[in-house]
Amino acid sequence: MTDADRTSPLALYRTMLVIRRVEERLARSHRLGLIHGACHTCVGQEAIAAAVCAHLGPDDPIFSTHRGHGHALAKGVDPGAMVAELYGRETGCSRGRGGSMHLFAPEVGLMGTSGIVGPCILQAAGAGYSSLVLGDQRVSVAFFGDGAVNNGAFHEGLNMASIWRLPVLFVCENNQFATEVPFASVTGNPGVAERGAAYGLPSVSLDGNDALAVEAAVREAVARARSGGGPTLLECRTYRTRAHAEGMGDFTYRTRAEVDAWKERCPIARLRAVLLDRRLADETGLVALEHEVEALAEAAHASAEAAAAPAPEGATTHVVAGPRPGPPREAPGTGPGTRELPFARATLEALSTSMSQDPRIFVLGEGIGARGGNFATTNGLFAAHGPVRLRDTPICERGFVGLACGAAMTGTRPVVDFMFADFVLDAAGEIINQIAKMRYMSSGRLGMPVVLRGCIGIGHSAATHHSGSYYSMYAHFPGLKVVVPSTPRDAKGLLRTALTGDDPVLFLEHRELMGLKGPVPEEDYSIDFGKASVVRPGRDITVVALALMVHRTLEACRVLEAEGISVELIDPRTVAPLDVGTILDSVARTGRLLIVDEDFAHCGIGAEIAARLAEHGFDDLDAPIRRLNGSPSPTPYSPSLEAAVVPDVRGIASAIRDLCAE
Amino acid sequence: MEEGRFVAWLRKDGDLVPEGEPLFTVEGDKATQDVEALSAGVLRIAADGPAEGDTIEVGRVLGWILAPGESIPTTGPAGTGATAAASSATAPTAPTAPTAPTDGLTTDAPSESPARAPSSPGPSERPPASPRARRAARQHGIDLATLSPTGRGGRLRERDVLTAATGRADPGEIPGAPQGWTSVPTPPMRRIIAARLVQARRETVPVTLTARADATALMALRRHLKSEAAPGESAPTLNDLLLKLTAEALSLHPMIAAVWAEDRLLLPRSIHLGLAVDTEAGLRVPVVRDVGTSTLEEIAAATRRLIAEARSGRIAPADLQGGCFTLTNLGSLGIEAFTPVPNPPESAILGVGTIVRDVVALEDGGFVARERLTLSLTFDHRVNDGAAAARFLQSLRGLIENPPFPIP
Repeated sequence: MTDADRTSPLALYRTMLVIRRVEERLARSHRLGLIHGACHTCVGQEAIAAAVCAHLGPDDPIFSTHRGHGHALAKGVDPGAMVAELYGRETGCSRGRGGSMHLFAPEVGLMGTSGIVGPCILQAAGAGYSSLVLGDQRVSVAFFGDGAVNNGAFHEGLNMASIWRLPVLFVCENNQFATEVPFASVTGNPGVAERGAAYGLPSVSLDGNDALAVEAAVREAVARARSGGGPTLLECRTYRTRAHAEGMGDFTYRTRAEVDAWKERCPIARLRAVLLDRRLADETGLVALEHEVEALAEAAHASAEAAAAPAPEGATTHVVAGPRPGPPREAPGTGPGTRELPFARATLEALSTSMSQDPRIFVLGEGIGARGGNFATTNGLFAAHGPVRLRDTPICERGFVGLACGAAMTGTRPVVDFMFADFVLDAAGEIINQIAKMRYMSSGRLGMPVVLRGCIGIGHSAATHHSGSYYSMYAHFPGLKVVVPSTPRDAKGLLRTALTGDDPVLFLEHRELMGLKGPVPEEDYSIDFGKASVVRPGRDITVVALALMVHRTLEACRVLEAEGISVELIDPRTVAPLDVGTILDSVARTGRLLIVDEDFAHCGIGAEIAARLAEHGFDDLDAPIRRLNGSPSPTPYSPSLEAAVVPDVRGIASAIRDLCAE
Repeated sequence: MEEGRFVAWLRKDGDLVPEGEPLFTVEGDKATQDVEALSAGVLRIAADGPAEGDTIEVGRVLGWILAPGESIPTTGPAGTGATAAASSATAPTAPTAPTAPTDGLTTDAPSESPARAPSSPGPSERPPASPRARRAARQHGIDLATLSPTGRGGRLRERDVLTAATGRADPGEIPGAPQGWTSVPTPPMRRIIAARLVQARRETVPVTLTARADATALMALRRHLKSEAAPGESAPTLNDLLLKLTAEALSLHPMIAAVWAEDRLLLPRSIHLGLAVDTEAGLRVPVVRDVGTSTLEEIAAATRRLIAEARSGRIAPADLQGGCFTLTNLGSLGIEAFTPVPNPPESAILGVGTIVRDVVALEDGGFVARERLTLSLTFDHRVNDGAAAARFLQSLRGLIENPPFPIP
């Protein structure tokens, strides 16, 4: 089929008809109990999906919403695979992991439908950024409803796409209800297209039920995007004529009369009339087509219903990438090429090597371009790799983390340098709901090589918005890897692993260690995640510590050694995955465990380690497990107050002594 | 003291014992001691009472002194419920610390419940134990209820179990021996010796001087005293003579017996001298009192008693304390000179070598055979300088060569 064939009115008609018939079939299946969760149809809105996707190839990625059946089908997802997904079958396009709201088929460019309103806008911008980095002229599309345009993601995404002239179409299906809240009642300016001007990008307002009008506008927007002209905002005014979700009441927020009136403006009937009117098809041909599509929808249902349910054994596969083949990797020993380097220089070596070797890597952050990073994390790289790969961003953490997500989904390897970990909490949803879950939702078809790096830790009177630790929080979520290095040597090898892996990594660097010097081998090396470092062997007690606490504990160990107390100090180095085995082995010898953790105790890494020890090493314990944590309060500014909320050397030594006396 | 070695019961189960009667003997860190009944009554030995050689912890109940007709208490922890519930005559019998009686009966840790008799165990009576201690107890087949906890709040720790296990297990069964080695428990005595020697080595600046002395006259005196002794009586030994002469020399050089106390030096008012005694259980140093003012016969009687008691392991702790200087003689083993280590807190020790017959050149060019011995004096250089020590040795040598004893 040629491009002209795919964008012909008859082809659009067929696509719209497929969407309508399959969704009507789904509505029946929902009543029959074949669909286990939600089912949001787009009946009445089919023209937009059909017209937009007609201009896209399988490599052009689209990002969709909870109302995404039409986008999936228009993009080329097999109707049987889509229906099977809603039926929860193994043959479903997401292998039964997603259902209606998480349809994935990256092989045809469907990069997922989403249960969260907004992120798809940022992800489409990220796909556009991948096009920029890779220079492959792919055009990406974000489909979203009117509800999303009042979300920060819309503003941040459009702004970034505009600044960097990303090849993206932002397609707003304005069906006038944000779920069940009338759009007019929650917006100060109901003209969505007018908002494009705020960010300096071309915008069009369209009758979304006129397939040919949408097709013409998309044709122009796609051409502009492919030729480097940047993004376009398309507002397509439309109306869904079925309930928000199947089985829900529809007339508490709108009237039957209004719905009936919009049914009269059905885009399919409208295009059918045009086809006949312009003699692009005859009645006989259209009836035959309608029978064929009817049969196709029934066949999709039949094949889905016949398919098997997924085996429960596979329920937790595809959370993270499979194990890396090959022998374990560790830092080389001290050799002739070993230098004393500050922490930040060691990580810069890893980043520099990786960027030279892999053109897919790019860095996003505030001041990481020509300036070289607030902590010199990208010092000198801008000159070598230029602005596309070292991109200074607006101060919109949620925006550029969401953009990084979309970029990772589409073939590049973003590094987000957010300076201080506190800042990125604005992007927690993008990290936890999107980045962490994407590999799983896509049943392992999308790797997520995103490195999110920044400073943690208390010091320098930075006060409470520049001092949080957060590693325990991120480690809670499956799919994320959390690295907390304590030495320049470890930092270099662990960052190298992060930059070459296929999973998202929170790389958290303690502010007070950035200037710490230590031996760093000159050669290129990687250190596997999930392997703790025995910093210091000992006999009487096992102490587990991370980052700055490793150094404070080492100092305490020297004091205690003179008293005859021999401490084994373990630095897990990565909080997720966590090397419990090394801790268990150590406690099997010492019988005592203290966890020294700058972060809060409640639900923290210390609690996790203590629980794992109690589960697997109970009989090895000769004393209660103890934790020494930072105080449960925001971080104060004044040095005297600040020092009071972090474990110090004396406190650590005292805790060790006390536990040895148990 | 935390534990001792049970030597023997001195009375049988069921014996009526008066107050003050020795009940059993226990060997502690420094000495062996008889433990006496604190009240009169019938001795009942616990069913699992210790066997000879068992290690027993301070606070462990070994048996009871009951009023006539009273039965062994069956509930409540020792020293509390048991004592209170039974008649006033009932008192649990626990080992005490020979060197520190206050450690003993008044244990502050929960000890074995008398109800731990095999017939009536109860879960509520088990002392709290760490998981590791419980596992060790399973591995060694040890009943936790028999142990004395050393953990905070009365919790049994692994070390409590291993201590008990090493006391009972065959040598070589102690876990953790490196491959190719067997391990035997370190006897308490050995640990004490080691600790004191390491302390001396760490805290003092020992220097050893040696000098040869002509002992011909002294040996003649010794032979004379031997020949004078009544049949069946023993004469003063060479060590007795040397103790007396050392006391004489120390009275001339009192600083040699001074003890270092940082901002001051302590000088003894009386010359009590230690005498190193080799026993089966290791080195012991009983102290001979008032050597300076005692006669040779009194010294001889004292050393005879002390050596016998030290060798039998029955020496009283008081007889092991209070010396200001020690004499150690390896001459009987053929040693000529050595570097003895002072016995803390003493600052000096005299080593006596074997008597050798030497050919000595005379002024006129002739030769003569003399009996000679080597004196090895180790002193703490913090307390005395080398010259002072040498002057002490010089005086002592003069006393040996011309003994000031009246020879009848």
